Amino acid sequence: MHTVARHVLLAVIVIPVLLLPIVPPAGAQSATEPSAAELAEQIRALKREYEARIGALEAQLSVLESGARDAEGMSAEPASRPASDNAFNPAIGIVLNGMFSEYSADESEIPGFPTGHESERPAQGFSLGHSEIAISSNIDDKFHGNLTLGLGVHPGEPTEVELEEAYIQTLPGAGLPEGMRIKAGRALWTFGYLNEQHRHGDDFADRPLPYRAFLDSAYNDDGVELSIVLPADLYSEIGFGVFRSDDFPFGGSANGHGAWSAYTRFGGDFGRDSAWRVGAYVLGGEAHERGGGHAHAGEGHGHDEEAHHDENGHHVEDEHHDENGHHDEDEHHGEDEHHVEDEHHDDEHHDEHGHAAFFSDGLFSGDSRLFALDFRTTWAPTGNAQERELTLQGEYFWRTEQGTYELAAEGDEEAESEYFDTTTRGWYAQAVYRFLPRWRIGARYSRLLASDDMELGHDPEAVAAMVDWTNSEFSRLRLQYSRESLAADEHDSQIMLQYIMSLGAHPAHTF
Amino acid sequence: MSRIPIAAAAAVFVLAGAVLPSPAIAEVRVLACEPEWAALAEAVGGGDVVVHSATHGRQDAHHVRARPSLIAKVRRADVLFCSGAELESGWLPVLMQRGARQVIQPGQPGHIMAADHVAVLDRPETIDRSHGDIHPSGNPHVHLDPRNVEILASELVRRLERIDPGNADAYRSRLASFRADWAVAMEGWRSRVARLQGMKVVVYHEAWTYFLHWAGLTRVASLEALPGIPPSASHLQDVLEQSREAGAEAILRAPYEPRDASDWFSARTGIPVVELPFTVGGHPQAGDLVSLFDITLKLLEEVRDRS
Repeated sequence: MHTVARHVLLAVIVIPVLLLPIVPPAGAQSATEPSAAELAEQIRALKREYEARIGALEAQLSVLESGARDAEGMSAEPASRPASDNAFNPAIGIVLNGMFSEYSADESEIPGFPTGHESERPAQGFSLGHSEIAISSNIDDKFHGNLTLGLGVHPGEPTEVELEEAYIQTLPGAGLPEGMRIKAGRALWTFGYLNEQHRHGDDFADRPLPYRAFLDSAYNDDGVELSIVLPADLYSEIGFGVFRSDDFPFGGSANGHGAWSAYTRFGGDFGRDSAWRVGAYVLGGEAHERGGGHAHAGEGHGHDEEAHHDENGHHVEDEHHDENGHHDEDEHHGEDEHHVEDEHHDDEHHDEHGHAAFFSDGLFSGDSRLFALDFRTTWAPTGNAQERELTLQGEYFWRTEQGTYELAAEGDEEAESEYFDTTTRGWYAQAVYRFLPRWRIGARYSRLLASDDMELGHDPEAVAAMVDWTNSEFSRLRLQYSRESLAADEHDSQIMLQYIMSLGAHPAHTF
Repeated sequence: MSRIPIAAAAAVFVLAGAVLPSPAIAEVRVLACEPEWAALAEAVGGGDVVVHSATHGRQDAHHVRARPSLIAKVRRADVLFCSGAELESGWLPVLMQRGARQVIQPGQPGHIMAADHVAVLDRPETIDRSHGDIHPSGNPHVHLDPRNVEILASELVRRLERIDPGNADAYRSRLASFRADWAVAMEGWRSRVARLQGMKVVVYHEAWTYFLHWAGLTRVASLEALPGIPPSASHLQDVLEQSREAGAEAILRAPYEPRDASDWFSARTGIPVVELPFTVGGHPQAGDLVSLFDITLKLLEEVRDRS
């Protein structure tokens, strides 16, 4: 009995110890039958021995391990990449954006430049700005895909999901010539500086006036764009696009490929802490019944049944005005009638505004062409943009449009339409300075220049100043003050407090 | 219609872009993301390569603008040589996409990410942005362990031999002499490092992990509470006590790291700030990789001797 117990105990204790190179302690066991006390003592002794050995082995092991670590450092074997179950899932990024705004004026419309939803001033008080969900991934070795949904929250209306972007893009492995890329689908197309950017990347809480007036904040039609970076020391890129012609400033595409664009860009460095880029762009297409202030302009809701003009959108009965207008221009719009064609309309409204009513309330159908020049330069005084950086940016736009403006029938007043050939311009310039790693201040001036023919009597302008605080590259809080003077003798002082947070995958920003 | 001439012009440009021959490769164009890799490429590439660095020695490679000049560099690069492990993830992907250069895409011989070839430290167990701007693949600042530099020298030459086989012998012989010089330098550093063993330091960002690991220094605390997020006053207060208790001997700062936090910290604790070069060009005397380690050790030895 004793022997059996002893053997079992010994086996349990000694076997693991024997696995390690250990000599059994001499004289620990006696050949004679030991007493229970002796046995217990022997076991205790063994245990002590075992513990000591284990301790020594552990010390040895740790030495070996550190040696192995060092050897690893020397190893030329590539480290295995971290693999995760969702390695092949698309990257998902969400941008949350909320605002609190106070305005001094009740209305904020740009007379003569009706725009769509996207450019409306955010609702007074609390509002959700533009929240986005972006899903993107490489599809295979040749294509990359992206889907961006914008959650449009417009007060008094149900929340709508807008398909902001849904495009595929060739990857460098697609077999196209070096430097060439093709993007197809719906995207924020290359035009000027801001158009390509998602709103959450903007330096101000709202888009400058020319973007609101000419592009309804951004042009994201359906189409295809080809771009080529030329193999030169100076960054040089050219690109061309063909689009459906449904998004603002166009609309009601007849053949589904009525808009086109072309651009060129150059850029480089000034020294080692400063960079610059300039670009020239053109975007042309046809508009169909765009405008009217409240219409979903450019969203593709053209009313084809009402089309009653010829290919060029000219109404035969209309008097044609060229840009220089053969009329006696009267900036102050006196009481007297000054247009022959207005005489049969006794509506006060039209008498007061003359042409302005056509531009503010009419539906435009005709050819539209928008040109833009942009520049941007950054300078990091310490070499680290993260620490201190000055950014100067500006864009200049001009738009030529030939076509008819149609005023809908109202009450007993007849519908009327008139042909115009107008050129309108707009520009903005802004400076943003990061003065501390987390803090930036910025100022922006933007202005629209109507053609005299529009008889608006006022060029809309706006100034904005902002300060923002960036905790990490994923979160930002911003306070902005703007003063807009969109119509004559009207001012709107605006205060906006905004947060912009991004969750999940966050695509790298371009220059 | 006005669209036709535009379309014609577009077609002409496209054809021109596609047909124009790319200039014959006289030299291999290497675009390095950081100065240390540029220095290494120059050392083994010699006159057979033209090297550009996307960042300079006083710049933080985490945050670089994807500036137009870099797109132009990517467009013409034959080799892209970077740290990897998400260090450049804020700007490199956009450059690679826009430059649309096939030969430097992942999987091509012209695509070298240092962290893919060495043992990466500090790989996080959980990935959550509340832990700061962490690198899921581990700490990317691998160049501060000289053994890693040697591994990358061999890897780069392997790639250059494939890209430019005509000059393979030149690359190999330059590698041999680089390794010989490196071995001599390593021998000297080994004895110097022995004297620094166990030195306790406070860091700003976990940029020194590989260096500390190699040199046997002990990191007591980090001024950044979370990677990529500037230190807060309350965190600095915590670190203050921690460092005093642990008996930290120096605060390590890279040239691009903000001074205010470490200066404040030094004034409160009396622990000296040592601005180490971090990379080639980060110190007037750190002109190449050997002097980078020489100066780094010298600056630490000075602190040790003073205390």
